[in-house]
Amino acid sequence: MNKRNKKWVSVVGTHFYNLLDFGILAVLLSAVAVFILYPLLCIVKNSLWIDGAFSLQEYSRLFLKNGRLLSNSLFVACLSAAGSMVLAAAVALKVHFAPKKVKGLLMGLLMMTMVSPPFVSALAYIQLFGRRGIITYRLLGLSINPYGWGGIVAMQSLSFVPLNALLLMGVLSKVDQSLIHASRDLGASPSHTLWDVILPLIRPAMLVCFLLSFIRSLSDFGTPMIIGGRFNVLAPEIYLQIIGYSNLPRASAMNMIILVPALIIFVFYRLLMRNSLFSASDGKTGEFQSVFHLKGIANLLLTILSALFYGMMLLQYGSIFVGAFTKSIRGKLHFSLEHFEQLRMYNSSTLVRSIVYALIVAMAGTIFGMLLSYYIERRRIPLRNFTDFVATLPYMLPGTCFGIGYILAFNHPPLKLTGTALIVILNMIFKQLPTTTKTTSAALSQISVTMEQAAQDLGAQKFHVIKDIVFPNLKNAFLVGFINNFTSAMTTVGAVIFLIHPGKKIAVFALFDAVNSGEYGLASLIAAFIIIITLLVNLGLSRIIMRGRR
Amino acid sequence: MKRLLAFLLSITAAFGLAACGGTGNNASSGEASSAPQSSEAPSSSAGSSEASGEVAPAASNGPLKVVTTSDAYQVLFDKFTEDTGIQVEYLSMSSGEVLSKVKAEGGAPMADLWFGGGIDAFMQAKEDGLLEQVDFDGAADLAPEYKDADNHWFSKGLTVVGFIVNNDILAEKNLELPKTWDDLINPAYKSEILMSNPAISGTNYAVVNAILQTKGEEAGWKYFEDLNANIDYYSKRGKDPSEKTVAGEIAIGITYLDKAMEKLQEEQNVTLVYPEDGIPYVPEGVAVFKGGTNADGAKEFIKWFYQDENLREIIPLDNKDTVKIVKPNLENVELSFPVESLMKEDLSLFGSQRSAILDKWNTMIGDKAETDE
Amino acid sequence: MFLELRDLCKRFGDQQVVNHLSLSLEQGELLCMLGASGCGKTTTLKMLGGFLEVDEGEILADGVRMNELPPERRPISTVFQSYALFPHMTVLENVIYGLKFQGIPRKKAREKGMEYLELVGLSNEASRRIQEISGGQQQRVALVRALIMNPKVLLLDEPLSNLDAKLRVKMREEIRQLQRQFGTTMIFVTHDQEEAMTLADKIAIMDQGNLIQIGTPEEVYNCPANLFAMNFLGFANALPGPDGTTIYVRPEHIQIGKTGELEGTVCHREFLGFYQQYIIKVKDMDVVVKANWDQTFSEGEPVWLHVLKTVS
Repeated sequence: MNKRNKKWVSVVGTHFYNLLDFGILAVLLSAVAVFILYPLLCIVKNSLWIDGAFSLQEYSRLFLKNGRLLSNSLFVACLSAAGSMVLAAAVALKVHFAPKKVKGLLMGLLMMTMVSPPFVSALAYIQLFGRRGIITYRLLGLSINPYGWGGIVAMQSLSFVPLNALLLMGVLSKVDQSLIHASRDLGASPSHTLWDVILPLIRPAMLVCFLLSFIRSLSDFGTPMIIGGRFNVLAPEIYLQIIGYSNLPRASAMNMIILVPALIIFVFYRLLMRNSLFSASDGKTGEFQSVFHLKGIANLLLTILSALFYGMMLLQYGSIFVGAFTKSIRGKLHFSLEHFEQLRMYNSSTLVRSIVYALIVAMAGTIFGMLLSYYIERRRIPLRNFTDFVATLPYMLPGTCFGIGYILAFNHPPLKLTGTALIVILNMIFKQLPTTTKTTSAALSQISVTMEQAAQDLGAQKFHVIKDIVFPNLKNAFLVGFINNFTSAMTTVGAVIFLIHPGKKIAVFALFDAVNSGEYGLASLIAAFIIIITLLVNLGLSRIIMRGRR
Repeated sequence: MKRLLAFLLSITAAFGLAACGGTGNNASSGEASSAPQSSEAPSSSAGSSEASGEVAPAASNGPLKVVTTSDAYQVLFDKFTEDTGIQVEYLSMSSGEVLSKVKAEGGAPMADLWFGGGIDAFMQAKEDGLLEQVDFDGAADLAPEYKDADNHWFSKGLTVVGFIVNNDILAEKNLELPKTWDDLINPAYKSEILMSNPAISGTNYAVVNAILQTKGEEAGWKYFEDLNANIDYYSKRGKDPSEKTVAGEIAIGITYLDKAMEKLQEEQNVTLVYPEDGIPYVPEGVAVFKGGTNADGAKEFIKWFYQDENLREIIPLDNKDTVKIVKPNLENVELSFPVESLMKEDLSLFGSQRSAILDKWNTMIGDKAETDE
Repeated sequence: MFLELRDLCKRFGDQQVVNHLSLSLEQGELLCMLGASGCGKTTTLKMLGGFLEVDEGEILADGVRMNELPPERRPISTVFQSYALFPHMTVLENVIYGLKFQGIPRKKAREKGMEYLELVGLSNEASRRIQEISGGQQQRVALVRALIMNPKVLLLDEPLSNLDAKLRVKMREEIRQLQRQFGTTMIFVTHDQEEAMTLADKIAIMDQGNLIQIGTPEEVYNCPANLFAMNFLGFANALPGPDGTTIYVRPEHIQIGKTGELEGTVCHREFLGFYQQYIIKVKDMDVVVKANWDQTFSEGEPVWLHVLKTVS
């Protein structure tokens, strides 16, 4: 009797959970199709159907007349990616081999620099290094022209470092310690060990940093817009096409042009990743129990580079916070709470709304991304490679493009979302999806398949395997995904400009607005608020999750 | 079991959003206005019941949604809500962004009312069929050149353009204060002038168009060629010229001028110049979008706004009294500069010539701004 | 037959990994699958566990066809080579994880889990984390986690390969004892012939996807089906037999002394504790012989060899 009952329970359970499993998969795949592929196709269509007829005129014109824009973009992207890669390697190595106390401090600073509201850093750059810059003019008495590709490259290199450095540190922590010991044992100096052993081991990861930064640089429009001067690149030009001429077809075509080098780079990235770059090594890894001090010229070089990074970051964030509390009168800074008065005009609901949106985006986006990544990596799902590819596309597109795509795609029934909060949230979720899925994939490669098989062997349905075995072991990936999603939801402005609607303003839009109306002090204050809130939420969550692991 | 529940909850939270979105839309697609704003509806109906004599629009229309150029107008919107009971939600955006966005939205605009922004964008919007005709009694009192003949758009004032000059740099480089547009082409000012790309700055587009009209095609373009020789690059943000001049990044910025800018002269070592050979200007538009969810509220706002007492409200917010030009019989307001100093402009050409002028402009400046067309 | 594999085939690309494998097992028997790495034994195990699809053939457990059942519905449990213990759960949570899918209330499951942990002497470690216990303890947890499911068949995939020599011997005794106690039918995969000999009721020798031989340890040792089977289970000397044939003789089946059929000289001696191994030069052949610890001959000394038994 009892036995029969048991069997019945298990049969019903099986059907239910299989259905649930299938349901989740169906939702994942259709969401990727509807919220990434479809808007993108709308952009493509928009660039090809001009006034109701098929035409390649925008493309031919781009190649004929705007080849310079493309080559400028590629030029800057190469330099920024290289610069950021080198800086990130220096920063990551210094942090990794730093004594414990220093390490905590450096990590904390690195975490802070992850939160980088748009525009303000470019504005800070002008404040510091402009013709009347605090450093160049007041300190050094120089009057140099900071506008041009140099400024863009410098700012982009610096701002891409935090993410790259974190990625490299992850790889460094997996380097087999015994390799380093062996090198020392065979008589290599620390410099030689660094050069001959450690760097070659993290070279593939450095290349990944390069590729990811390259793509980011191509789609960054804020930095070149403010400090590009007469040096023009594609991304801000797209924005100008939209706001200056409301020429959506041309803007769409330009987006497609940006996508080409990004796609080529992405193929390289995939090839690299396939060579099991981030798979676990068998040796003893992790914290260095034995002492390994960087020494010599190599150390000097690394120290200078990372000091440069931290120095610039401190200056930049310092000038944001100083800007929030001061007012410049006749070239002199005065303490002032005037910006707080200005801020009062903004509804406090703006800030609350930002946080609510960001929390939803972080929660939903992270879970969605983790599930998607799991199904792509571990299940034989239909169109697996294609799905993976589509899910990566948002990373390569400028935010403004993704925003316009959403308007085009969702401005009519059956999916009329324009004017709702949902379209903003969905856009943020799917824009950051690639980062979440890639982080999860990396973490998944650390979880052996046999562990899943063991759970199945013990009677767990597919659903339970995910719930009981996979997700609990992805805590780290969840944390990274959550922080990334939350941070970018709080700080990314690209798509939001076109999706936000009256009555649903969010803080980063207010920041954009303040920057545009020249209220640098107010912008600094909003930026400071965004930075502090984002850091608090990120730290709080890290605490909770880390404690759970005890 | 509890844990399973928690997990399910978090999953459904993730997908519930998408699902709710789906159903919500179906509802709103059927009846243009009901579902999405329902959360706001109670507050607005509560407001309207308080309002006394005014005809309150149906509460189901939700709040009046406004795109505008500055958050400063909140004071005005608050007064409107107080007087009529209609709640207002607003967002500030540049007119270029508004135009692109509304175009892309294909007949379902994000807002009901468009308040402020260069008139050329409004003209373009009318041409694209994005604006609603608004007939009201007060329209007759407005100066005819500052409103659309078919009542698709109106003006709320004028943006006037001049220079802002950084005295320190001028002294440093031993330069004279420029007093006229013609002064600016003096080679002495090479690399010391900043102007925004006229494609994105309505203000600077007004400069180009007005000077071309004043000087005539040929002399006008010759002038801009000479000016171009003095300008290194054209900024991509409308606020850049004044901001960078104040910061000392550049000596002379071509910018809009208002009382707030004048105040800068007290705090910063800058001088404002109203060019003696004529001040270009561009009207700032007001219009109702076609297809908005609360077009009635928007029309109500226009009627309300052009009452004298409300028009006067905008003077301190805009930091200028050019609204007097738009409504000449506005009482108790005196213009702070003579109307004669404005350039003679035929505004009807602003919209129609735009793409031709910008095209030619781009060919002329070459790679200083690769935005073409 | 309690467990039956009929004509099992598995191909990866154009490589035949398991080739028409058929074997059967009585209830309560322990079968050792023996073979070099890559011989198809782990693949077979994966097909039994349900982690790999069967290309051809049939798996029957207690008369029920298993082929289409997913792993979670097969009455077959696996102890993985890497143990595959869940790092985010305690020892006890690991052990009772499978019980929740049998609809057993948590409280009862915990009691049962403690009972089983008691069996392997781990009740004190119940609430510890997996990373905090030793390799041998982890092995026991993995074993108990599978046993508690009361599987019809228990599969063990080289479960002792991560342990040191001493612990291996101890663990294989424990496994044997638990197997007797529960009467569990087991398939134990190993490449260690000594392990196979001591544990197995039956040994199956595999090579390149083929089943070479199946039988009791005595059968396969003394009557190997072919040279491969013979060499896999230990060394054998190839000696000239009558009529120009070759006979094979295991080193312990040769008596060394003053009399015998073959004459040779001592070439090399190794002292191996409880026995001594000699290499005897007979004509131009090297013959390996195991002798008692007290039978000492010095190098260069002439000796006679007597063949007690040949491998058939």
